[in-house]
Amino acid sequence: MPPRIPTKSSASSASALVRSSFASPCTSQCLPSCRAGFSTTPSRERSTNLRRAFLQWTRTIGANYRQPKPEGGPNYISNARSSALQPFPLNAQFRSSRVLDEQARELIWEKVMRQGETLKAVSAELGVDLTRVAAVVRLKEVEKDWISKGKKLATPYSKAVLSMLPTKSFRPGVQNQPLEPINELHIHTATQKQLFWPTAESRQFTREDAAKAFHAKMLSADKRVPHPELIQMEKNLLRGMSPDDARARFINAAEQSERKAAEKQMKKAMAEEQATKKVNTKRFEFRFKEVDSELVGKDGRAPNVVGWKYGMPHYDRKKGLVKIPTSVP
Amino acid sequence: MTIKIRLARFGRRNAPFYNIVVAHARTARNSKPLEVIGTYDPIPKADPYDDSGRLHKDIKLDTLRAKYWIGVGAQPTDTMWRLLSMRKQVGIMEPKYRNQQPRTAPQLPADIKKPETPSA
Repeated sequence: MPPRIPTKSSASSASALVRSSFASPCTSQCLPSCRAGFSTTPSRERSTNLRRAFLQWTRTIGANYRQPKPEGGPNYISNARSSALQPFPLNAQFRSSRVLDEQARELIWEKVMRQGETLKAVSAELGVDLTRVAAVVRLKEVEKDWISKGKKLATPYSKAVLSMLPTKSFRPGVQNQPLEPINELHIHTATQKQLFWPTAESRQFTREDAAKAFHAKMLSADKRVPHPELIQMEKNLLRGMSPDDARARFINAAEQSERKAAEKQMKKAMAEEQATKKVNTKRFEFRFKEVDSELVGKDGRAPNVVGWKYGMPHYDRKKGLVKIPTSVP
Repeated sequence: MTIKIRLARFGRRNAPFYNIVVAHARTARNSKPLEVIGTYDPIPKADPYDDSGRLHKDIKLDTLRAKYWIGVGAQPTDTMWRLLSMRKQVGIMEPKYRNQQPRTAPQLPADIKKPETPSA
């Protein structure tokens, strides 16, 4: 059957008939490719009982769910069994997660940039993931930069999106409910293999030992969590230290770790700066970096050889490989 | 046979990238060289967060090997000569100056003295 083009009114079907009758003598002379021709008969709309019932529902009860709630937040179809964060009543596994609202993001930026609190301390206090805190600060900086430059912000869009999502806000100066779990471990590839590691029952097998069993250089889970300082704080509390004291120590430790990380980064940048020789010309700066060309391995195919390799495919365009930058410079 | 220090083009269409190689002069450009001693990225790049518009080009070079090969008679191509002779910092080669004198504009036709015609 030839494909049918649905037309708006059935009145045109008469003219279509006339046209097709005119066209028919031509078909014998036309090339085989154009002989198929398009029928302009309007397609009949298929309507099932279910579809009719759905349309009926959208006109009655469903009309309540067309717009987000006037007080803000999502307007999900919920029944007695489903919770407020479940968009699909029959899919209990799907929960929409809360997003930080404008005021919460401003509070995080204020704490980090104005009051000089560490990312780790803010993350632990508000229960927001460390990477999310960093991202919020970065994006807020961009926003403020745009405002200072007089660039137009997409505020209506942001408002519309936030009005349709479950949001989370914080009250400054009080204990808030956390947004998300903050001590989630990144799954290390070395820990994904199944391992049988016989040990004596009399021996204490700690997390340190477990890490060593997976890989000689692997750190224990206690050290790989985003806030190892929180573990120390809990230990201090168990030992009977006062909460204020333990908290002060945690903040101090977080500051120290952040300073250490900054120093490490600075040192790396300095070492890189010293290793490159810069030659300024009129148009460009040429940056010469010293390399060792003799680290080619036995067959000249070591992974960190300088330059493109000979006789080996370059996987820069391979399907399934990430081609966009994955880190912030 | 002559040994050259030259560039071998890798990269993609409209995105060149060169290996700095030591190779026999009569071998093909991208044939396997004696040694790869560095890379040259000719596409100018800006530093992140730098709005000044100043661009840089990245070169990786094993200067020790470059000096060795020149010591045993390898001949850099003009492009490589230019890179190897850049200022004191790299200064493996003496720069090949075309003309050290500042350029002067050529004489305009109006300035050229016309031979005087004898008046009758």
